[in-house]
Amino acid sequence: MSSDALTFQDAILNLSKFWADQGCVLALPYDLEVGAGTMCPETFLRVLGPDPYRVAYVQPCRRPADGRYGENPNRLLKHTQMQVILKPPPEDIQDVYLQSLEALGVRLAEHDIRFEEDNWESPTLGAWGIGWQVMLDGLEITQFTYFQQCGGLDLDSVSVELTYGLERIIAFLQGVESVYDLRWNDSLSYGDLRLEEERELSIYDFEAADPEACRRLFETYEAEASRLLDSQGSAAAAGTLRNRFPLRKVYDLCLKCSHLFNILDARGAISVTERVALIARIRKMACAVARIYVGRKMPATVAV
Amino acid sequence: MHQSPNLKVPNQVTQPEATRTPADGKSQTAPLLLEIGCEEIPARFLTEAQTALGQRLRDALAGTGLLADAAVHTYSTPRRLVAYLPQVLDRQPDREESVVGPAAKAAFGPHGEPTRAAEAFAAKHGAAVTELFEVETPKGRYVALRRRVAGRPALEVLLEVLPGVVTGLQFPKSMYWLAGRSGESAPRWVRPVRWLLALLGEGDEAQVVPFEAFGLQASNATHGHRSAGRDPIRVTGFLDYREKLARAGVEIDPEQRRAALRQDIERLLASSQLRLVPDAGLETWIVNSTEWPSALTGRFDERFLKLPREILITVMRDHQHYFAVEDRVGVLQPHFVTVLNRHLRKFDSARNSKSECRTPDPAPVIRQGHERVLRARFADAEFFWQADQRIPLRDRVPMLERVTYHEKLGTYADKVRRMALLARQICRTLEEQGSMTDQDTLRVLRAVQLCKCDLTTHMVQEFTELQGVVGGLYAKEQGEPEVVWQAIYDHYLPQGTEDRCPRSLAGGVVALSDKLDSVVSGFSAGLEPTGSSDPFGLRRAGNGVVRLAVESLPGLDLLKLLQAIATLNLELPASDWVTRVSGFLRERTEFYLQGVAGLRYDTVRAVVQATERGWERPADALARGRALERIRDTEDFVALSVAAKRTHNILKKSAKADDLTAAMEPINEDLLAPGPEKDLYHAYNRLRPRLEEEASRGEYEAAWRLLAGLRPQVDSFFDNVLVMDGDPRVRRNRLNLLSKLSREVFRRFADLSQIESMTLAPVSAPTSEASSGG
Repeated sequence: MSSDALTFQDAILNLSKFWADQGCVLALPYDLEVGAGTMCPETFLRVLGPDPYRVAYVQPCRRPADGRYGENPNRLLKHTQMQVILKPPPEDIQDVYLQSLEALGVRLAEHDIRFEEDNWESPTLGAWGIGWQVMLDGLEITQFTYFQQCGGLDLDSVSVELTYGLERIIAFLQGVESVYDLRWNDSLSYGDLRLEEERELSIYDFEAADPEACRRLFETYEAEASRLLDSQGSAAAAGTLRNRFPLRKVYDLCLKCSHLFNILDARGAISVTERVALIARIRKMACAVARIYVGRKMPATVAV
Repeated sequence: MHQSPNLKVPNQVTQPEATRTPADGKSQTAPLLLEIGCEEIPARFLTEAQTALGQRLRDALAGTGLLADAAVHTYSTPRRLVAYLPQVLDRQPDREESVVGPAAKAAFGPHGEPTRAAEAFAAKHGAAVTELFEVETPKGRYVALRRRVAGRPALEVLLEVLPGVVTGLQFPKSMYWLAGRSGESAPRWVRPVRWLLALLGEGDEAQVVPFEAFGLQASNATHGHRSAGRDPIRVTGFLDYREKLARAGVEIDPEQRRAALRQDIERLLASSQLRLVPDAGLETWIVNSTEWPSALTGRFDERFLKLPREILITVMRDHQHYFAVEDRVGVLQPHFVTVLNRHLRKFDSARNSKSECRTPDPAPVIRQGHERVLRARFADAEFFWQADQRIPLRDRVPMLERVTYHEKLGTYADKVRRMALLARQICRTLEEQGSMTDQDTLRVLRAVQLCKCDLTTHMVQEFTELQGVVGGLYAKEQGEPEVVWQAIYDHYLPQGTEDRCPRSLAGGVVALSDKLDSVVSGFSAGLEPTGSSDPFGLRRAGNGVVRLAVESLPGLDLLKLLQAIATLNLELPASDWVTRVSGFLRERTEFYLQGVAGLRYDTVRAVVQATERGWERPADALARGRALERIRDTEDFVALSVAAKRTHNILKKSAKADDLTAAMEPINEDLLAPGPEKDLYHAYNRLRPRLEEEASRGEYEAAWRLLAGLRPQVDSFFDNVLVMDGDPRVRRNRLNLLSKLSREVFRRFADLSQIESMTLAPVSAPTSEASSGG
């Protein structure tokens, strides 16, 4: 709550160091538009199958409907998540998480921390989990989830997902009223780096985007994904190499569709019934990818 | 305002004392303490989980014979479920059991001499062959032995039963955390279990019951509040446990937390002229989401008070779990009360006095954090309020074409069209009754047209629980007449049995149109509730229809209304809903009469099965039910219901034989026998005009009192007159008389033959073996 609070970039460094020390791979942000860190393959694919894994990464996330042209001090079209996956989670996972807050400069003894029920669900990914939102003096700072299902599949091993909303937490620590006043480093503010981008993204998603073009792109990407999936089906039937299937590319196409869907939604171009149908189409791709991925990880007896 | 913790660290915890007196000569009792430590249990599940743990433990111990005393004390916090039994037997009582051996045929030879099989069986159990006896089993005759089984020590038995007690607790939503969902034996619970504590005995004699569950082994260690550190806290019994946990920032008893919370808040507000806006649901949520509640006050900018009270309270309660604060006359003030899950001072001030000096008071920082969050929330609400006003409700009507109500039932624009047709129909009835003018009807229709428009606003999209309320508030701002905006504001009422009904008749009509449309359209689309599943919430809607028919529109005949609605052009997927909906509303009416109004079940049956009036006017059914409850246990009335049953039975038996049709045949006075029969006939005819008068005024109690006055004539008739007379003409005339009495006296406003009166119940059934054996 003061000038000695961490800058935005130092907070990222500290948190990354903390989780690296916990044995996490420090992965890079994914290079496609995603609505949440969960959608990155480092989460979506890695939580599937039995292999233990720990990973942490910073992920810029885009939610067109949350855009406010840079005028709202608390809402962003593109915000930054710190995503951590622990598979399987250690027994003292909650304590480890709380220590990570200390790494950010939160002195636990001076605050009120709560774990309030909040069960996470992503219909587009066929994924859901049980958990909490973590509240720091009434502010939601982290989503804490025990994954139960992903890609429509029951999981062989439960992962814990921690998703930190970095702007919120750091604004809280720095005691600033607007995210744009966050100190990114010692000389530049969050607004200096991002305000113009927020405005532009909002203008495109709310006004400039051509819904018809977005729809065509959706159809095109989906068709390409279907074509690949169909070829996988015949390859599997012919008993040819399943490890040569470019499943991450199919997943990329699925992510493309998901983002286009979000733009169409923000644009107000989707009716409620159509919305349900489009979500189902994206989920179908995601679930197909999950099945192929698990089939690859498992002994050959598992049907793909 | 200043704050300090109100929960005291107990110096001495008073509790039920464990006794060590022998219970049956051998066994002594010992206290049992069980704690399941876990990650945060959702507040909404906690109370039920606490009760269920006590129930399961009691049942399990009763089954093993270890339960010395039924007292089971249970406690809970978000991180633990606790059960404490002051008295458990330290070993099971010995008992006798039969052991079945070989078949009788194989056990004894042709002259009754024991075979080797019998000898071996007896020897195996250390008994003599002479102790064998024969028993009949489903598989034939076998020999058996009586054996005394020594009770086992409690510790041994508890090791076996406790795992089932803790793993078998059921929650509305549970999870896996060890292996995944595909692992078959992985445990499920509401949240991960992290430690188990089980202690039998107290003090030096305390023994750990090291049972295993969730991959853990129970010990004597617990954990305090998160802020008290991670080291295990070893305990030697319940007293020690409570005291150490209190020092470590945990009050295990929810009721203690509630009391402390109230005291704390009272103290905080004592010096001011402020009071809480009471909220029992929020209080319970807080009690169930804290291990040690401490209240803290905060302020917000007065400019937000320009927003409606409803919106401010919803933001504070539903999004932040804050209590709103008002002055002594009920005007909302720019303050709130938040409740922290922690001490605001160090747990053990004596021990930590030094560190306390070093640690600054956390309250200002925490308060500042909460105030900041609330400011952002209110700023959002303020933005929505202003942005929404730019498009008034009336201009939002076309936008409803884009909001889906249900895929089979179209958009909200379609729903509003149907509601308008229903409302017009209801208003027409009310106009005919003279309780509404055509001007009122226009206002109702205006409210119907606007009532769903708030679904398109930012405010309702953000705070869905405020639908209707927001529409009403906007309508008020936009200059709609009071009756219109209030009808919009109230049109989701009543939402539950405790909820109020709309303020005005117009509001009642709008609410009824809404709920009735949900039911009718839902049934026509095949969405009716089945068993415990009611995805469309139609039971609730149906309950609302009945309550509105009782409280807002008491003259309303629901059956006639349904029949009228069926002729309207509602453009529903199917038109065969009338019978099903009327059956459903009848069932909802019966639920209301019994479950909400508290009438006895046979009263309800009597009321809805009457010949002249049934369920269709729920207000009238309620009036009859209430009157019946007042009079049904009076002596004359009990006699009347006995006569009703008798009449009913006679008519049932003779209906076929005498081809007695339901159609009324005139009674031939010349065929009535002088004496009791004629007396009854004339007495009833004398009564009739007064009866009609009372009934028409809805004075059912008075009407029934008149009928009860017929008792002497009725009794005398049944005592002296043979209904099944030899002369078929007399018999038929007599049956007609009974039939008339049945319709007009015994079953007219309530089917009295349904009343189960105490005098009819058999006094005692001849079941005792002693009397039948004599």
